Amino acid sequence: MKLENSLPLEYKTHQNQLNILGFWIFLGAEIMLFGTLFASYFTLVDRTGTGPTGVEIFEITPVLIETFVLLTSSFVIGLGIHAMRLGKKTAMMTFFAVTLLLGLVFLGFEIFEFVHYVHIGAGLQTSAFTAILLTTLGTHGAHVTFGLFWGLCILMQIKKRGLTTETANKAFIFSLYWHFLDVVWIFIFSFVYLKGMM
Amino acid sequence: MDYFDRFAIPHPSPAIYASMVAIGLTGIAIIAGLTYFKKWGYLWREWLTTVDHKRIGIMYLISALLMLFRGGVDAIMMRAQTAVPDNKLLDAQHYNEVFTTHGIVMIIFMAMPFIYALMNFVVPLQIGARDVAFPRLNALSFWLFFMGAMLFNISFVIGGSPDAGWTSYFPLAGNDFSKSVGTNYYMLALQIAGLGTLLSGINFITTILKMRAPGITLMKMPIFTWSALTANAIVVFAFPVLTVALLMGTMDRLFGTYFFTTSNGGMDMLWANLFWVWGHPEVYILVLPAFGVYSEIISTFARRNLYGYKSMVASMVIISFLSFLVWTHHFFTMGQGALTNSIFSITTMAIAIPTGIKIFNWLFTLWRGKIVFTVPMLYSVGFIPIFTIGGVTGVMLGMSAADYQYHNTMFLVAHFHYTIIPGVVFAMIAGLTYWWPKMFGFMLNERIGKWAFWFIAISFNVTFFPMFFTGLNGQARRMYTYSESTGFGPLNLLSFIGALGLAVGFALLVYNIYYSTRYASRNISSDPWDARTLEWATHNPVPAYNFAITPQAESIEAFWDSKMKGHKLFPGEYKKIHMPNNSGVPFIMSCFFFAWGFSFVFGMWIPLIITTIGILACMVHRSFTQDHGHYISVKEIEKKEKELRGA
Amino acid sequence: MKELFPLKQVMGFTFSIIFTLIALAVYFINMSFSLGMTVLLVTAFLQAGLQLVVFMHAGETEDKGAIYTNIYYALVIALVTVFGTLLCMIWGYV
Repeated sequence: MKLENSLPLEYKTHQNQLNILGFWIFLGAEIMLFGTLFASYFTLVDRTGTGPTGVEIFEITPVLIETFVLLTSSFVIGLGIHAMRLGKKTAMMTFFAVTLLLGLVFLGFEIFEFVHYVHIGAGLQTSAFTAILLTTLGTHGAHVTFGLFWGLCILMQIKKRGLTTETANKAFIFSLYWHFLDVVWIFIFSFVYLKGMM
Repeated sequence: MDYFDRFAIPHPSPAIYASMVAIGLTGIAIIAGLTYFKKWGYLWREWLTTVDHKRIGIMYLISALLMLFRGGVDAIMMRAQTAVPDNKLLDAQHYNEVFTTHGIVMIIFMAMPFIYALMNFVVPLQIGARDVAFPRLNALSFWLFFMGAMLFNISFVIGGSPDAGWTSYFPLAGNDFSKSVGTNYYMLALQIAGLGTLLSGINFITTILKMRAPGITLMKMPIFTWSALTANAIVVFAFPVLTVALLMGTMDRLFGTYFFTTSNGGMDMLWANLFWVWGHPEVYILVLPAFGVYSEIISTFARRNLYGYKSMVASMVIISFLSFLVWTHHFFTMGQGALTNSIFSITTMAIAIPTGIKIFNWLFTLWRGKIVFTVPMLYSVGFIPIFTIGGVTGVMLGMSAADYQYHNTMFLVAHFHYTIIPGVVFAMIAGLTYWWPKMFGFMLNERIGKWAFWFIAISFNVTFFPMFFTGLNGQARRMYTYSESTGFGPLNLLSFIGALGLAVGFALLVYNIYYSTRYASRNISSDPWDARTLEWATHNPVPAYNFAITPQAESIEAFWDSKMKGHKLFPGEYKKIHMPNNSGVPFIMSCFFFAWGFSFVFGMWIPLIITTIGILACMVHRSFTQDHGHYISVKEIEKKEKELRGA
Repeated sequence: MKELFPLKQVMGFTFSIIFTLIALAVYFINMSFSLGMTVLLVTAFLQAGLQLVVFMHAGETEDKGAIYTNIYYALVIALVTVFGTLLCMIWGYV
């Protein structure tokens, strides 16, 4: 197996480079996925039927907490990759674990937010607006949830097999995914919540 | 027994009952045959678990040909029903199911797998690679497509076919007006197959960008590979839109949401909008590889290099981008104002320009060439004038004000068949015939092939040209019948006769495959057409590792130049070759997807949860798998090469 | 790339927080719709770009051409989809 020794561990083999490029292309597809959800959101945002509007149901505090939790988790996983490149396995695993924990906190707040919406009469079946709102937030949340399980699998593999070209590659790709979810959240935060509460 | 009522067909007929029996008998025959001939092991080892791009290509091909048959039968039924006024062959409900199925099968389950069959088999060979970037993912893509197709295909015998058109517009496709599970099948089968396609998009782009043999720069790639790159680029950005649209449609039908309803804020137009944001790029996904096939064939059989390689590449790149800017022309009449419609009219007409450049380049290639009229060349040369009719009628339709007259009449039906059939179907048949010897080691019979071509080409025009006139006279699309006083009768009868001719042509195609399989000589050269590109520099049959030594290519037509100028294509010594292992996970995961889709269609929530867990389990398994493939030793390579060279 | 202190990550995080706080201004301060939207658009795209280059190492390898092309393409088409949809469904509707 030919190793590019001048590159970081996650890029060393040819398959590693293929995996990373392939994942970037997947992220391009995900940009379109969320782009479509946003297009639908902006189209349906004022179509509230008999249900409530955004201004009536959004609350700044949980949204701010979610935002800072996710932003921090993105920072922490950045630290994790940095540690990985320095070969510090334990530091990296700790940072990863903290990232996943913060992700869990984010999800907790989001689930609480959803339950709250249902209670105040803004459920999935209330109106077109609530449907697209919950679907957009829910798709992002589902991606985070999937990420939690995926990240856990990678953490377990690093624990068992150490930092190899393969595990480093997987961890790097996971970090791309996680950063991307943060980017999507920035757009949700700006154009769903803040715009809705302007 | 009530529980099982949901699986009953809402609108049965003798034909449907007969099909149920046929499907049952065929299934039993297949299982019995495999058991009797003890071929289960062979099937599992060689086909169900393969990750070889060549095998996967062949499986896509077989699926496409089977689906061509189903879609074709639908077409004959439609033409038979409309052949005479007030016909009673199909009632309205059945006619709706038939045209819906025809559209979905032909586009999603025939044309898409057909292009992927050719891209899978040919692209890695053309760039001198040993496989695609992600072989296991490639297998998964095929099986997801296959399961999506299977799910769709059982709809008409379990639960009922979708009947809201291949475009499945809301509110017709909503629960109020489509009460059977048919539209659920539509939403889920397309979702599953679409996922497979998206994964292929990622796979092929990575492959083409990163796995080219040394010397093959981007501007030295064969033109078919360029067409594959641009088509897969469209796939990556178009299919997620369909994913979201289908998700929202599924939620409306199964979870009581109000996305596309006519109450509580729903916007039915949004479905049409999102569908076509995907739908228009989709037809360019189909046509770009077809254009790539034509470029290869025209160049090979005009015995000269393709005219204007750079502008051919540029035009495909431009088309792939512009294809995302025109979608509104599919619903000019939906209520947008003149400004919006005009913007999209302009972008629609703009996309005709790069296409026109390609047509001229093909003509210029033919101009100074020494033309050999083999079967693939006949299709390619026939394509040019016939497709041009489709193209110019497309510009007519693209003028939004005029489109108010043409929209959803038979004029539109004629236009898109005049682009899709000569554009895509002819190319697929031509590509099939052209690459057949490389795939299977023998040639398809030229004489039968030529008869098939002439039947198809002439009958196609007899079938669809009258539709321009009936459309302008006022015959609407998707009408199951019409009264005699409309005067549509004679031209529709002509269409039916043409359809019979098409049936003969396609039957000849099938007969050709049978006849050639049985009688054609297996003793052919590995380069029977005296071709120009790298895939012909392999042995017949192509060994699993494709090339014993990675080729060193110096020009666009590396193989042709090596034949003409004696340049060494395969420098160096044999080295051990790394190959991926087979894997059963793609097949198993896809089986879970089938069961998942089926459970979803019928709202069976417990099976749905179980199958979801099954899918996730497969993903976890894949994550923890450490499969580094295997090596083919130098000794084995030497042995194989000697055996293939001697043959 | 081998320094011990993750300077890039800390800078990136700091700027992310700053951009988020600036975006928050539209909630706390009364401003016109266009000004608010401009603030949101600028901060959101700047933050996204930051993540891309600093955190995701988009420009690091020989594939950066392919990666940036892919992202720009996706962005342009996503914007076309968003604004095209709004044009057809709402603004341009008669």
